[in-house]
Amino acid sequence: MREITLSQAVNEALAEEMRRDETVFIIGEDVAEAGTPFKVLSGLVEEFGTQRVIDTPISEPGFMGLAVGAAMTGTRPVVDLMFGDFLFLVMDQLCNQAAKIHYMSGGKLNVPLVVRTNLGATRRSAAQHSQSLHALVAHIPGLKVALPSSAYEAKGLMKTAIRDNNPVVIFEDKLMYNDKAPVPEEEYLIPLGEANVLREGSDITLIGTSSMVQVCQKAAGLLAHERISAEVIDPRTIVPLDEAALLKSAKKTSRVIVVDEGHQSFGITGEIASRINEKAFYHLDGPVLRMGAMDVPVPFSPALEDLTVPTPEGVAEKARKLVAGEMIHAA
Amino acid sequence: MSPARKKKTNTEDYMRMYRQMVRIRTFEDNANQLYLSAKMPGLTHMYSGEEAVAVGICDALKTTDKITSTHRGHGHCVAKGAEFKQMFCELLGKEEGYCRGKGGSMHIADQSHGNLGANAIVGGSMGIATGAALSARMLGSDDVTVCFFGDGATAQGLMYEVMNMAALWKLPVIYVCENNGYSEYTATAEIAAGSITARAEAFGIEAHQIDGQDVLGVNALTQKLVERCRKGEGPFFMELMTYRYHGHHVGDINREYYRSKQEERDWKENRDPIIRFRSWLVAEGIATEDEIEAMNAEIKKDAAEAVEYALSAKYPVPSEVDMHVFADVAHVLA
Amino acid sequence: MPHEVIMPALGMAQDSGLIVAWHKNQGDAVSMGDTLFEVETDKATMEVEAQASGFLNRVSRQAGDDVPVGEVIAVIGDSAEAAPPEQTPKEMPKEMPENIDPAAPEMPKGAEVIMPALGMAQDSGVIVAWHKSPGDAAASSDVLFEVETDKSTVEVEAGHDGYVAALLAEPGDEVPVGDVIAVISATKPETPVQLSRQSQGPSASRSAETPAAAPAPSSEPAASPQVAKPAAMATGDRILVSPKARRLALEQGLDLKGLIEAGIPQPFHVADLEMLRSLPAKTATGPSGTQNVLARVSVTGFSDFFDRFDGQIPTPGAVWAAFAAASLRSAGSRSDIVVRLDTPLLGSSAFFVDPDLVPLSRIAPCEADAPQIVLRDLTASRITGLTLVADDAPVLTVSRDGTDYVLSLDFTEAQLAANAAIRLVEGVAARLGEPLRHLL
Repeated sequence: MREITLSQAVNEALAEEMRRDETVFIIGEDVAEAGTPFKVLSGLVEEFGTQRVIDTPISEPGFMGLAVGAAMTGTRPVVDLMFGDFLFLVMDQLCNQAAKIHYMSGGKLNVPLVVRTNLGATRRSAAQHSQSLHALVAHIPGLKVALPSSAYEAKGLMKTAIRDNNPVVIFEDKLMYNDKAPVPEEEYLIPLGEANVLREGSDITLIGTSSMVQVCQKAAGLLAHERISAEVIDPRTIVPLDEAALLKSAKKTSRVIVVDEGHQSFGITGEIASRINEKAFYHLDGPVLRMGAMDVPVPFSPALEDLTVPTPEGVAEKARKLVAGEMIHAA
Repeated sequence: MSPARKKKTNTEDYMRMYRQMVRIRTFEDNANQLYLSAKMPGLTHMYSGEEAVAVGICDALKTTDKITSTHRGHGHCVAKGAEFKQMFCELLGKEEGYCRGKGGSMHIADQSHGNLGANAIVGGSMGIATGAALSARMLGSDDVTVCFFGDGATAQGLMYEVMNMAALWKLPVIYVCENNGYSEYTATAEIAAGSITARAEAFGIEAHQIDGQDVLGVNALTQKLVERCRKGEGPFFMELMTYRYHGHHVGDINREYYRSKQEERDWKENRDPIIRFRSWLVAEGIATEDEIEAMNAEIKKDAAEAVEYALSAKYPVPSEVDMHVFADVAHVLA
Repeated sequence: MPHEVIMPALGMAQDSGLIVAWHKNQGDAVSMGDTLFEVETDKATMEVEAQASGFLNRVSRQAGDDVPVGEVIAVIGDSAEAAPPEQTPKEMPKEMPENIDPAAPEMPKGAEVIMPALGMAQDSGVIVAWHKSPGDAAASSDVLFEVETDKSTVEVEAGHDGYVAALLAEPGDEVPVGDVIAVISATKPETPVQLSRQSQGPSASRSAETPAAAPAPSSEPAASPQVAKPAAMATGDRILVSPKARRLALEQGLDLKGLIEAGIPQPFHVADLEMLRSLPAKTATGPSGTQNVLARVSVTGFSDFFDRFDGQIPTPGAVWAAFAAASLRSAGSRSDIVVRLDTPLLGSSAFFVDPDLVPLSRIAPCEADAPQIVLRDLTASRITGLTLVADDAPVLTVSRDGTDYVLSLDFTEAQLAANAAIRLVEGVAARLGEPLRHLL
């Protein structure tokens, strides 16, 4: 099977959907000629024109609001939000408006909107361009949240999101745009709410999101040397969450570590750990552990930044302790 | 067209506009009573006094033209074609309301008549309105979008962002500032520096300031601007000078610390859009006092019946609480 | 159709309003839009307009009343009606301050003047001075008194036209907001009243109505469930073990205490259960090696027997002592079998020596000690069965479970060999089931 980069996968998904449905359009900063700073959208304006690949002024609330209105009145916008950190700028339009309009109108108005943005640190972009804020939007009823972990997921989830009649926020990891993965030529969709088991194991379950999936895979490799068999699962979407798959794995291995690049506290890891605790308690041989980004703003200095995100070694270390039955926290 | 026929057509228009203004006033009086008699939950914001704005403008629009509304949205909703029964039901949180009781006064939307919804966030609909104009253009329709907002909303950054984009892309949207002199409890002069129309003009958007209490004047201007919008000459900006008789919200009852009773009386007695239009209709021989009285009485009766209906209508069933969170998902918490 | 005048909803958090003053009286003509009355809200005083034209009738609430939102307080009708009949105390609980003191003067009738709300955080005011004396004429805009607030001294107008009929507080008195401090009557009073707050007794205040009412006297501290605090360390009675391991241990009948005894450090995990399984097999015994044999037998045999021979045989317990002794003997015990019968619920103990060697009717307790067996009678209790520690002697507990006797023998290996124990219990059970056999 051919291998393409995550960037190419997203590009293909958008192009295919825009060909299939002429109401789909892209709007955001530097999306047309520039193809975004990450060059993900290169070539699209040439094919679809400036009416469907629309460059905007630096007005995040403005063009998010426009996209909401356009989605409500018959078109299907894909909003390009250049950095996930800019979510804060668009919260009213995304969370007070887009997320709630279908509900507040008693189901009579739809908002088929896709927001394409990113997450991920270790790029030396410092605190305001390195955040992973998917927990913020996952918390708001009415928004779906997808986290592709490879080129394969990126294409399949993007196509599904565009066809979904609800607002979907997709976070790509900005560090992964050049990472390749096998992607079929034929059309395929990945449903929202379906997890993927990348590696089967029996001793411990590692649940990872976005680029943390690869971190977990590497950790599993390290653990394999020590005869610890780790299962690696990628939920792929946070809302809706494939609880059944996660619980099934937890019950199988009886030990779980959840790894996510959002801050450790008050985020995704806490939610998943909590659900496993509630619904698989009597199958657990140890507490469900969480590993997120350190609860500090992302520092600029390379010496510090790399300390703040989970690493394969860190995950393996925690897994070792959990399997050994060490008292993780004092009695 | 013979003058007689033209006059008759105009008569229909005039009577329709008069009727709509009275319908709005009557609706608000009833809504106010419902609140004061503690039968309506939550808060609402009265449009009384501003009828000519909503009616003058909406009467120049087609059903498929879109409007976005504000927290003071009953007037726009009625003017764009909504029915009393479903509106009262919505205000009381009943299942037969336009939003199945899930939006209430501040989020009332009537999708079938092109009303994209009231918004509880000041200025919150401006992006939506501009986006609706964008998609009309994209889909090749000549639909126009009217964005209603108050003078207070000119303080929101979003307004400038969307006007900028509307002007850049010549979108078919008309920004309508209902300047009623007050932003909650503060006079407009204290919250808006400079000129409101100049703000639009700074983006190269043609702006007009007119008397918002003159329904015919409002309607005539709107018709012209809508026509031009459909031809791609938009966007446009209108500032209508008007007045709200009640407080910012029901329950804002002691207003003297921010506006005088004398001022209120002056607007009510000397500048009321309904009284004014009525006098004109009678003077022009278009309608008699009796006909108007009869119409008023009929509207009052309609409203009273709609209120009765809504008061005894059923609430949504409990299982509805987790419906409509997502399209295509019946119950999100199942 | 009369139009109802109601206390309107006024603000987001408000569910009642205090009538400050009526601007129209019973029977007055009113036009739509006329101010009918003034209401005090959290923030300010508001004028309420008439919503209809006509005559104001059936005024049921007065100035100073705190009225729930939505309540009908008057009616506007087509013609003036006579004043409503005298209100019963139930309808107007706040009208007259209750005066316990029989010597106090009768309160004159008229419009009540209350201590007004003066600021957001203020719930009382100190009267600085009266500007009128009892009996003086007062116009509604005349200053009646001065009151001190946090910030300054405020002059308060009379609010009613008439004569000062009563002053109910003195300068220097601190009066809660809403309390009546004066009465203004329409006509000059013959005996105007001047009181201080002290002389009116505690019930002069209208504290029951204010929102800051005293909390219900029966305010018990919230009952907190008596949860035993979990032991901080892995000592004492709590074993730290993972949920899965605990569940599996339970399912497999493994005793986690074995791990503690084997010195395995807590917390225990599933892997430790392997260790537990491999520990030397002990018979399932209690803490000091007590063993147990259990039997059940229907009560009908014995109760029929007992009924038949009622009066000729002693208490059941005595009979069972005989059964026990007999069983022991046939199991191989020598003579001088001492049985102690304990009835824990009565706190009594009785000794029988060789009760099986005498006719039933002649079994009697006597002095002895060192029993070979202890019979514990719990049949009068609701206890249906138990297993306990053996005493110095084996203990056979007899209890009732529905229509069965439950026999539970607790013993140690040292006291009885397993087979002997089994035969003993079987023997007693058989005799209980068919008592006549014993006699034969």
